[in-house]
Amino acid sequence: MSAYILRRLLATFPVMAVVAIFVFVLLRLAPGDPAALIAGDDATAADIANIRTRLGLDLPIWHQFVIWIGGILQGDLGVSIFSNLPVTRLIAQRLEPTLMLALATLIVAVSLAVPLGVLAAWKAKSLVDRIVMGFSVMGFAVPVFLAGYVLIYIFAIQLRWLPVQGYKPLADGFWASIQSLVLPAIALGTAYMALIARITRASMLEVLSQDYIRTANSKGLATERVLLLHALKNAAVPIVTIIGIGIALLISGVVITETVFNIPGLGRLTVDAVLKRDYPIVQGLILVFAMTKVFINLMVDISYAFLDPRIRY
Amino acid sequence: MNAVTDQLAPPILEVEDLRTHFFTRDGVVRAVNGVSFSLRPGETLGIVGESGCGKSVTALSILRLIPRDLGRVVGGSIRFEGRELTGLDEQEMRGLRGHRISMIFQEPMTSLNPVLTIGLQIAENVQRHLGLSKKAAWDRAVEMLSLVKIADPHRRVHEYPHQLSGGMRQRVMIAMALSCDPQILIADEPTTALDVTIQAQILDLMLELKEKLGTAIIMITHDLGVVAETCQQVIVMYAGRKVEEAPVEELFDRPMHPYTRGLMAAVPRLDGRLEGGVRPRLQEIPGIVPSLTAPLPGCPFEPRCAFSTEQCARHMPPLERRGAAHDAACFEVDRVLEKSLV
Repeated sequence: MSAYILRRLLATFPVMAVVAIFVFVLLRLAPGDPAALIAGDDATAADIANIRTRLGLDLPIWHQFVIWIGGILQGDLGVSIFSNLPVTRLIAQRLEPTLMLALATLIVAVSLAVPLGVLAAWKAKSLVDRIVMGFSVMGFAVPVFLAGYVLIYIFAIQLRWLPVQGYKPLADGFWASIQSLVLPAIALGTAYMALIARITRASMLEVLSQDYIRTANSKGLATERVLLLHALKNAAVPIVTIIGIGIALLISGVVITETVFNIPGLGRLTVDAVLKRDYPIVQGLILVFAMTKVFINLMVDISYAFLDPRIRY
Repeated sequence: MNAVTDQLAPPILEVEDLRTHFFTRDGVVRAVNGVSFSLRPGETLGIVGESGCGKSVTALSILRLIPRDLGRVVGGSIRFEGRELTGLDEQEMRGLRGHRISMIFQEPMTSLNPVLTIGLQIAENVQRHLGLSKKAAWDRAVEMLSLVKIADPHRRVHEYPHQLSGGMRQRVMIAMALSCDPQILIADEPTTALDVTIQAQILDLMLELKEKLGTAIIMITHDLGVVAETCQQVIVMYAGRKVEEAPVEELFDRPMHPYTRGLMAAVPRLDGRLEGGVRPRLQEIPGIVPSLTAPLPGCPFEPRCAFSTEQCARHMPPLERRGAAHDAACFEVDRVLEKSLV
């Protein structure tokens, strides 16, 4: 087991290296000159050249890369072109809202979608099944921003149960923070939930027709035990996979959700940095997102080994 | 073998006029159509027949293990120790399954849960029904593994099914089924999926445990060799009905139903050489099992039968006593008996 985990862990290093090179090259190839942007409309060619020198943009590209990667290895993601603040600090400031939003969404979606999928599979073809699957189709079809505005209108503006927009940091109290996350988490999590519920149902349906489920029933075990231990553990690999893939979708959904709900998180930081061509911030963010994704994949891979003893790569 | 069977004891299981129907798009399939039999404590009862004759469905009906949306018992009675099972609610049935009546299945490769250790799968049965602590249940699992002759049970108990061979997995199934000392073990083709050498080992093991524990066995098989080796009483099923029943020696000496004869002729034999050392051609029964959706007016075996008459096509032969403890459902028993066995 530990050998397997170590192997998976080592396998993430080349992936991260490729991501780093890719991020660096891609942004250098993108159109637009940040030096010209900073200098403004009235700047002379000399001003722009000065700025380029100051930012190191006049160095050969490999030299820029060496400087950049050297910094990363020391935990230095560079300095924002516009605000002159360290990128790590900017990201750290915005990390909490996004992390809280992603966690809330993940917890809400998984804890609702998996039981619903199990229920739908157990009561396949029944009314319950049809209702769950109907909601799941709807959940897919409704875009995040629409769900967000509808939720705000109903629960914040009409019913006044929850705040309309904004984020309350944990420092302002746990419940206040949670309250500000309920609507964004539902908006962001709807499609995610639909996806997980569907996969859970399909995976469970296949498992429930297996011989070993008949064996479990022939032992007179309680329905909960048959469903939640004997069946769900077998059905878990595709479910965990889709939860992992879904986190990638969440990352892109976060950008929209944070805009709709005016949450000062990494998503907003990304949009602002991209629009201003603030290279160091964009690079830093992509690296953080990629690392998150690689980490999630690692967790999913490791969970396989716990869920299915036959998996040993 | 007979020593264990108490011929005077009341039967522990009485099945009467059992009818199990499946509801399909093409109509109602009468998979079991009025089957009756009884089982005495410690007895081994064989149920034989081709694929699709209703023998497995009969077994699954007793434990009510047929998925509800596919089919169910629509008539008849199943009495276990005098208690009617057809009227029990699901909770009471769960109390019986794996505890008083257990079942093992044909496919040892797929009948064990691949992601749970075999120890857990045995122990959970014991914990569920005997109310033992987790520790005691695991001890029982180890004990059961050594009872079914799995070497090194203390290590094996922590292994997963994929680490075991087919024969070992079937041993685990037997260990699991017998872990709560059931009164009845239903074995649905327990050796069909195994190698011939392993088959013999598993049958020997079942017989030995039966002697030791006094469990009655319902042995479902299409293999008359298995019946001859293990059973005391035999039921022959065809198209959802019982067509013949007799004690095992009687059945092999004087098979009365043409279908039973067909099954016997279809068994390959090493000793049955003709003059000049030529082996006779293996006999198959022509035709296939009829569709069970449409009710047949006559004997369901009539289209495949060498003895059939006009009467057979029009009337269903009733199951009648034809000799000491020997029942058969055939109009032409006398003609069948005249013809000597090959």
